[in-house]
Amino acid sequence: MTEQTVHNAPRTDTAAAIARWLCDAAHADRAAITRYEKLPGGAIQDNWSLDATLEGGPWSGAHRWVLRKDATSSVAVSRTRAEEFAILQVAHGAGVRAPRPLFLCRDKSVLNAEFFVMERLPGLAQGHRLTREPALVPDGDALAFALGANLARIHAIRPPRPALGMLAMPANPAVETIAEYRAYLDALDDAHPALEWGLRWCERRAPAAFDITLIHRDYRTGNYLVDQGRLSGVLDWEFAGWGDPREDLGWFTARCWRFNGVEREAGGIAALDPFMQGYESVAGRGISREDLDYWQVMAHLRWAVIALQQAQRHIAGGERSLELALTGRIVHELEYEVLQLIARADR
Amino acid sequence: MKDISDGADLMTTAREALLRELLPVLPAEHKYSALMIANAMAIAAREHRLGPDAGQSETARLQNLLADCGLPAPPSSDSHALRRILCSAIRAGRFDEPARATRLTQALMHTAEAWVAISNPKALRTASQPLARNEG
Repeated sequence: MTEQTVHNAPRTDTAAAIARWLCDAAHADRAAITRYEKLPGGAIQDNWSLDATLEGGPWSGAHRWVLRKDATSSVAVSRTRAEEFAILQVAHGAGVRAPRPLFLCRDKSVLNAEFFVMERLPGLAQGHRLTREPALVPDGDALAFALGANLARIHAIRPPRPALGMLAMPANPAVETIAEYRAYLDALDDAHPALEWGLRWCERRAPAAFDITLIHRDYRTGNYLVDQGRLSGVLDWEFAGWGDPREDLGWFTARCWRFNGVEREAGGIAALDPFMQGYESVAGRGISREDLDYWQVMAHLRWAVIALQQAQRHIAGGERSLELALTGRIVHELEYEVLQLIARADR
Repeated sequence: MKDISDGADLMTTAREALLRELLPVLPAEHKYSALMIANAMAIAAREHRLGPDAGQSETARLQNLLADCGLPAPPSSDSHALRRILCSAIRAGRFDEPARATRLTQALMHTAEAWVAISNPKALRTASQPLARNEG
């Protein structure tokens, strides 16, 4: 690095700090930040669109990137940005459609938090629109097939992977997940019998046999970009880790993530079949209806626990917010779905 | 008929004013907030009307469930305390027996339905909202 300049745009200390850091990270002579704006969404992470023009070095030229850093508040299960960066590198390298991770900054003196920069993919992620506007998804079956195949590419990443040595290895994913949710519920003031019953139901049916693969843990409509009807990339890797791959299948197909397409089981986009055909085309195996029901129960339990955590941020965490308060009210319908699934499976 | 508006009527009327008079003239970036406020007001109005019944029915069901698995009725009819006792019984396996499990699922379903009718009635299953085609 020899020099940094900031012109045409956010003439702030932040932009200057990022430009200085970029020169170093990208081995550039000069870096100009032409745009630095917060992207909508992300209750846990802050995402910023970052346009930069670099001179000199391997990245010389104009770039449209995303900078991702910790928001003020985070949930305990969320990974650090350095871990997420490592996971994205492995996933991207395995051919998973996801933003290419570029530079990691662990020096908290630059932006008061760890962050990384990744490529900015085109497309729209909003679940409410993707499941309601046919013009955005002209061929839902083809999109579902691509989403299934892409998920199977994540599940093809198996331990051991030296780059992912920081990820905990579960001895029994379902049993450990149930224990984690119970510990969280026990820490709350009120008790939640429907969730408790869902956890007991899952405990008694916990699979004795399972694979351990990389799982995304938030692979659902709303977390992938669709550009001109096609899958552009999967976002939000902050919960990824080793686990039972069926957890991702249950999460993607759970009713709570179908938005305006509740009758379309594959994320509100298409029926289950094209999604599973895409998955099987890469994985060479599928999932039984019984197992899918099981992991859909787990999905609703997981979302209920997270919704309770969001509600706590509002009620007790000093972060008064109508959005967080309303997220807490979702717990009722999640309990209702857990009970619907249990009633149907036990029939 | 009451002579003056109760809390639920005030909330409903205020929500209608928000949606009819303010929402159309709000700049685009504030519309999402206005819709969230309208949603919160609708929930509060429904809870004002339906909450007391939902709470009393839940308490009665909780007492029946505890009696069902032979637990002595606690001195308090406080629903928080009852829920906690029921959760311990569930975790201890006292509802594992199939017939009792079915009764538990059904009782909890009635309670959940009552609260969904307050928080988001659109999520209740109706004839027009069947399971997905391949489900079940």
